Amino acid sequence: MTRLILLRLVHGVPLLLAVIIVCFLMLQMIPGDPVQAMVGDFPVTQAFRDSIEAKYRLNDPILTQLGSYLLNFAQGDFGFSFQNQMPVLDLILERLPRTILLAVAGFVVAIPVGLVVGLIAGLSPSRRADRIWTTLTLIAFAIPTFWLGQLLVMMFALKLDWFPTQGIGPFVSRAHGVDWLLERLHYLALPVAVFVVHEGARAARIMRASVQETLSQGYIVNARMKGLTRGEIIRKHLLRNSVLPVVTTSGYAFASTLGGTVLIESVFTWPGLGLLLVDAVRARDNMTVVGVVVVAAAMVIVVNLLVDVIYALTDPRVRSAR
Amino acid sequence: MTSPASSRSAAPGRSGFLRSLYDVFAQVMATSHGSFGVIILTILTVTAIFAPIIAPYDPIALTDDSLAPPSWTYLFGTDNLGHDIFSMVVYGARSSLIVGLSTALASLLLGGVMGMLAGYYRGVFETVLMRVAELFQTLPAIIIVLFLVSLFGSSFWLLLAAVALAIWPLQARLVYGQFIRLREADYVAAAIVAGLPVRHVILREMLPNAMQPIIVQVALDASIAILIEAALGYLGISDPNMVSWGQLLYEAQNFMSEAWWMSIFPGAAICLAIVGLNMVADGLNEAADPKSGSASRNFHD
Repeated sequence: MTRLILLRLVHGVPLLLAVIIVCFLMLQMIPGDPVQAMVGDFPVTQAFRDSIEAKYRLNDPILTQLGSYLLNFAQGDFGFSFQNQMPVLDLILERLPRTILLAVAGFVVAIPVGLVVGLIAGLSPSRRADRIWTTLTLIAFAIPTFWLGQLLVMMFALKLDWFPTQGIGPFVSRAHGVDWLLERLHYLALPVAVFVVHEGARAARIMRASVQETLSQGYIVNARMKGLTRGEIIRKHLLRNSVLPVVTTSGYAFASTLGGTVLIESVFTWPGLGLLLVDAVRARDNMTVVGVVVVAAAMVIVVNLLVDVIYALTDPRVRSAR
Repeated sequence: MTSPASSRSAAPGRSGFLRSLYDVFAQVMATSHGSFGVIILTILTVTAIFAPIIAPYDPIALTDDSLAPPSWTYLFGTDNLGHDIFSMVVYGARSSLIVGLSTALASLLLGGVMGMLAGYYRGVFETVLMRVAELFQTLPAIIIVLFLVSLFGSSFWLLLAAVALAIWPLQARLVYGQFIRLREADYVAAAIVAGLPVRHVILREMLPNAMQPIIVQVALDASIAILIEAALGYLGISDPNMVSWGQLLYEAQNFMSEAWWMSIFPGAAICLAIVGLNMVADGLNEAADPKSGSASRNFHD
């Protein structure tokens, strides 16, 4: 078990290094001035230009440049954002908790909903009912998140005025304790609804297939023959064996959500990592873009590692494997 | 994979490749999701091709009415500048379908060749492909595209290249998996022992039997590409010289309280394209595994 974790860790580090190296090579491919390629289209003073050239050794051979580039990342120096006038790392650390809050809230609500829908669909006795569920979840999964968000804002924020149209909370909040939480929930409601439709549909589709796969296994037939009721079989055999594929795929989906829910954050102007990336792309603030990309990759690698470990813990065959 | 299709095409004739394509198509049409998806895609394709005939107005010309609600004159209403939204949605089908089709085919070509080499020869090809695919999978496709667009610009052709680059590993992994599996099949071993040229073994013996999952992936790739292009348009980052559904949603953002029609129709069009492609993919999967769903019926008996 520890071996497995170590193996995955050993695997993850070079992967992250490779991501940074690819970013570096991409920056090299931008035609024109290398300093401008790094900082984006912002006017740069001669003093700043000199400091960048010295810091990243831009006048040295390419391997030395790459070395200093990696060294800077390793020291936690992600560069400086011209657009925001602050270090990229500070910017990311400020945004990251908000993205985590949004992603966790979204998945905590969406996955159980998806599991229940998938279970109902998978157990549906008639071909017609099964087909209707399949079609519904297919359409739900196909609705673009940004369009759905726009529709929800139009309906529930602008027309009915139940929820705020955007943001993470009021500018000045005087609420404490439970009130503070309720205030936050008010702002989370619509983005979470988008997660429920999109991620819930994904989970439901996988759950349905998984339930049907489990139902065709011999031990279910066996349990039926032993005289267990349907309820007992569902609780004791079906659920436990069907949930695993949903956990792993949802885990991977969660990982890429943490890497930046670019679209949902943009619709609701949720100031997380995704919105930071979009704003940086619009302003061609390349140091910030690279910083977010590297952090996003790190998040995906770490969460995928965790998903693999959870998978191994739940599956005795994997658990005992050397 | 013991579907009737694969056993039928196991000994392909002279036109094995075309016949397996036809087989796949016939099977899609036999499922309800599949045939529905094909109908949706046909409608969209016809719309894209005959856009100048179908659209009542020039999509970039201004009419006299701005923010007019849907009516018989303006089926989907007009935007703040007075563009006819119906005409723009009709022309938008062109950019979306071009993006979907060309990037899915580019992925098929690049991913297909890489996957075939890796699955057939293993060794170095395999190692390189797996490492590269892994690298791409550390980031969501949309972030890869945003990164490339930020660095190199967002003209239409660059956008196409960026999307194709972001999604080709999906197809490569799939083809690789299929070829690993088929390499073990007896008839492939027989063909190799019989001394048939590698080109023949790969293209005539193996490829026809991998067609079904490959086409599913082509459909899924196209839907991902269309979604990414729409997303970039929505973020206001795509090529401003193209009429695209995503961009219409970007412009709708500022008029959400007064002009719902600016948002509803372009969004529904994106949705339709993605539903159509996913239905075709679903139909193909269903055709490959016709037993699916029977277990739950037995459970209730």
